[in-house]
Amino acid sequence: MSMLRGFLILVLFFLIGEALRLVFLIPVSGGVLGMILMTLTLMLRGKVSDALASASQALISVLVLLIMPGVVGVFFMASQFSGQWLAVSAALLLGTFLSVLTTLLLMKQMVRLSARSRAND
Amino acid sequence: MTELAGRFMAIPDVLSASPIFAIGLTLSAFFAGNWLFARLGKPLWMPPVVLSAVMLAAVIAVLSLDYVRYQEGALWITVLLGPATVALGIPLYQQIHHIRAMWKPIVVTLPLAATMAAVYAVVIAWAMGATPEVLASLAPKSVTAPIAIGITEQLGGSVPLMMGGLLITGVVAALFVDLLAQWLKIDDERIVGFALGLNGHAIGTARAFEISHTAGAFASLGMGLTGVFTALILPLVFRL
Repeated sequence: MSMLRGFLILVLFFLIGEALRLVFLIPVSGGVLGMILMTLTLMLRGKVSDALASASQALISVLVLLIMPGVVGVFFMASQFSGQWLAVSAALLLGTFLSVLTTLLLMKQMVRLSARSRAND
Repeated sequence: MTELAGRFMAIPDVLSASPIFAIGLTLSAFFAGNWLFARLGKPLWMPPVVLSAVMLAAVIAVLSLDYVRYQEGALWITVLLGPATVALGIPLYQQIHHIRAMWKPIVVTLPLAATMAAVYAVVIAWAMGATPEVLASLAPKSVTAPIAIGITEQLGGSVPLMMGGLLITGVVAALFVDLLAQWLKIDDERIVGFALGLNGHAIGTARAFEISHTAGAFASLGMGLTGVFTALILPLVFRL
């Protein structure tokens, strides 16, 4: 019962996010807008109800289940992109390797810099 | 007797008309994938999502079910992705003190890293002779699915190809983050989590929650910010 109440809150925030997206033509999905609204609301309220916490935990723990039907589509894709698989694989593998490296190096450097500037304050 | 056999053979066809069949199939594959993952000793390069998806695809193919019909039934599961994305706001709020302490590195890293995630892939594919349609499908590869679908449609790419790219990106991002973090001697869960969410969207975020709550919160943050930033920037850049 309490978990269902939390679920209702999540659904309402999602619907508000979708409504905002449609009205203001925002190119961001209703889910992400709802997530931002949720974080801001919780920051204003200063606490999370048990109902909301348990509902969100339940959904997050099955995140993989929720993306699975979409993922399966890969195996049923028509071979309309034959001849480009090498380019696609290289872009995905090498591209992701480089972007992960970029992120980690940047973050590491920036965390070190901001830690140093805080020490100097 | 042949009548009985005929009715028996018709079972998949009749049952698959109801969404509950797609739900049962997806749930079974989900648990089977997790079970197999544990049995294999939790290999990083073969996450449960891949194992489950392969099994699910095999069952659909063997029963010769209509994929589009499966997809319609499975909508009962996929629509939950919306509220689940909203749910990511809760760990985000619970970790807000960590995020406040890190806002400077995040503000600097995010625009650069999110842009590069798209640029690397597009430039490599372009140099190897990929068509504009393929480039448009690869550009949002680090963005969470619901946002990425919108971006791909706007750029004129193929959604199924984009979803495939998304899956591979998520899996290899989780793998590369683990490898490179070890190599660069980064043990800060906040950095690892952020990199997982930024590069590996929902799959990376799911992996980050396996590491810790803090890593998961930073992954949610990285995923959300990358999605918002890419959705705003990519259509502008692609016009050039």
